[in-house]
Amino acid sequence: MRVDLELSDDQELLRATTERFIESAMPLSKVRELADAGDAPGADYARSGGDLGWFAMLVPEEHGGGSASGAGVLDAAILAEARGRVLQPGPFVAHNVVAYALAVSGSDAHRAAVLPALVAGEQTATWAVADATGDWNPDAGLRISRKDDGFVLSGAKSLVEDADRVDWVLVSAVDEEGAVQFLVARDTDGVDAHRLEGFDFTRRQCEVRFDDVHVPVAARVGDAVNTSATIDRQFWYAAALLTAESVGAMDALFGITVDYAKARTAFGRPIGSFQAVKHLLADTSLLLEESKAVAVAAARALQDDSPDAAEIVSIAKAFVGDSGIELAHNCWQVFGGIAYTWEHDLHLYLRRLTANASLYGEPAWHREHICTLQGL
Amino acid sequence: MTEHEQEDVPQFRERARAWLAANMEPQAPNRLARPRGAGHQTADDITAARALQRKVYEAGFFGIAWPKEYGGQGLTPAHQRAFQEEASHYEMPNLGVAGGTTFGVCANTMLRHASPEFLRRHLPRMLAGDELWVQFFSEPGAGSDLAGITTRATRDGDRWILNGAKVWSSGAYYADYGMCLARTNWDVPKHRGLTWFAVPTRAPGVTVRPIKEINGDIEFCEEFLDDVELSEDDVIGDVNDGWTVAQTMLVFERGGGGDFVPQGPRRATRLPPELVALARRVGRDQDPVVRQQIARVHIMNTVQIQLALRVASHMRAGTGPATGIAAYGKLAAGTFDPIRARLAMEIGRGAALVWEPDDLEGQRASLNYLNSRIMSIAGGTNEMQRNAIGERVLGLPREPSFDIDKPFSEVVRDAANWTGKV
Repeated sequence: MRVDLELSDDQELLRATTERFIESAMPLSKVRELADAGDAPGADYARSGGDLGWFAMLVPEEHGGGSASGAGVLDAAILAEARGRVLQPGPFVAHNVVAYALAVSGSDAHRAAVLPALVAGEQTATWAVADATGDWNPDAGLRISRKDDGFVLSGAKSLVEDADRVDWVLVSAVDEEGAVQFLVARDTDGVDAHRLEGFDFTRRQCEVRFDDVHVPVAARVGDAVNTSATIDRQFWYAAALLTAESVGAMDALFGITVDYAKARTAFGRPIGSFQAVKHLLADTSLLLEESKAVAVAAARALQDDSPDAAEIVSIAKAFVGDSGIELAHNCWQVFGGIAYTWEHDLHLYLRRLTANASLYGEPAWHREHICTLQGL
Repeated sequence: MTEHEQEDVPQFRERARAWLAANMEPQAPNRLARPRGAGHQTADDITAARALQRKVYEAGFFGIAWPKEYGGQGLTPAHQRAFQEEASHYEMPNLGVAGGTTFGVCANTMLRHASPEFLRRHLPRMLAGDELWVQFFSEPGAGSDLAGITTRATRDGDRWILNGAKVWSSGAYYADYGMCLARTNWDVPKHRGLTWFAVPTRAPGVTVRPIKEINGDIEFCEEFLDDVELSEDDVIGDVNDGWTVAQTMLVFERGGGGDFVPQGPRRATRLPPELVALARRVGRDQDPVVRQQIARVHIMNTVQIQLALRVASHMRAGTGPATGIAAYGKLAAGTFDPIRARLAMEIGRGAALVWEPDDLEGQRASLNYLNSRIMSIAGGTNEMQRNAIGERVLGLPREPSFDIDKPFSEVVRDAANWTGKV
């Protein structure tokens, strides 16, 4: 069943055009081909994404952005879900987060020179926040010192999507005065981004080393007052979009699994007629419907700027994270041995869903976060 | 009522608010809900609730969205919701579990299947609190396989004679009628020989016996029907078409129905207060393991509300088979409840095992634990919900069955001689 039941005509169109583009430009066979070769989509992929509105939804119109329906977060979640169905590579989540950050707290120069190119997909960006241990606090992995009229960055960020291919890296960190963010060109001296091998090879995860990188004040995004709150919001947006992406992947994987249970026969009848299989699929369908419901709730809460948006995002991220993994395992069990082959698509979904559960905070982190937000 | 015919929702709300303030008692603040299992409704409780019900009904605030010809107000579900919102701060009539069955399940089903004469006779009395209805549905030998019931209704001239036994009828000990499923034809396949009857609980030949449950409560009953005499007027829907009626009833029983809108907040706004209190009481609210458990329950609560909203929009949009869609909400409760209850027992440790008699907080976790399989069994087991989802929503093929195409009398005979060979 559909993820969001109440799409406007504009949203239907947004979704349909993106689905058509993916079908022709980046079907699952192509995702697999890139992954096998350790390659990334060409620059035209991001440019086409820009034409389809992929990077405009979290950016106000005065900076070149604009949503399809007037509800940009919901529109972005619709896109994330459509992309998740076919395990699309970047740029998307991190790129959108950077566009959002520049729109709300970038300098005039950032907004004039960089933001329009990001919205159009002519340039790409990613967000460096976590370290290699999966700590998503902005202070992870990086030391900041002040020198002359600028800053010096040293250390390393990891789990940075597409960092070896992008034009810009938004770096989040904490110095003695609080949270700071910088927009750094990827080819800056002393910045070394290289691709890591990884569990989910359907997208590129990189480490970015900063070897005493001098950054001018002009590269700073936001000020001492608002940066911490902006980083929090970036994190919620990333978590909500990644959750929507997972729900799309779950829906697609579940669909092919149900089809298989109807087509595959054993003991003289379709395996889906056996209650052992049918009930597993019904439980899995429930997990999926619950995940859809709570993912939409999270996007709505951000859209409406609800006071409890952070909490509902954490609820959705934790629940969908766990449920995505459980769904992938249940589908694996229904497919049986065939899904243990490299050739079968199940492991691509398993990898994406398992990785998504950890990225931007694993379920246990979000559960503790909920208690903290609630003052327990 | 004519003067209110054109009344819009805000006007109606205003009138409801004024009437409630003048006539009803406000709800006691922060009232600690009595844990289930502490007893059951007394005759005095029910008499008082019926009187209150009549008062609300006579003022025109019950059956708000029901047809006027059957005693309702003929207004819209929006009026109904407006009243519920206004009334949420007041002590409203509590007719217990039979009240829920009367209005949530029986009346809604009758509106779709009973004759106009039947509806004119019974519905106004139901709204006024004079007729409380329960389901005479399951039997000692038929639960999940509801179409396999063996209570027998035999036509005798213009009378029907009922014989058999029913069970799990919640609240029957204080109800006025049982909506009773009986077999009227044994020579056709099981789904095609069933008919619904209105059985007065005080009719000669009806014995209602309360059943004590594991939580110490008395809510369920069993009934014995011995040569109970009914007339043609007591038939609900068409003779031998009872299965169609049963399908409607199951949708309402699972919390579905076209105008179903979940009540209450759109999400769980607070961490479950009873778990936080329990954790603090045993000094474990800073224990990371306990915090994870509390958050898990909070997440389940929120997800369940969001799922209910989603099920409701599916119902409104008609995007799928109603009995299948409604099964999601039921299965969510049936799978979350036992987990929640176990987590509470774990968090509470000793406090959930022993308590002073007046200590409700300590008892609650263990009572919830004993009650935690209500939703996974009652009103259609988890397994039945999984079949409904698997077959009606996902379109998975049915298991082979051995009772669909032969007369029910042969089904009973063959099942008793089952060898496993087909």
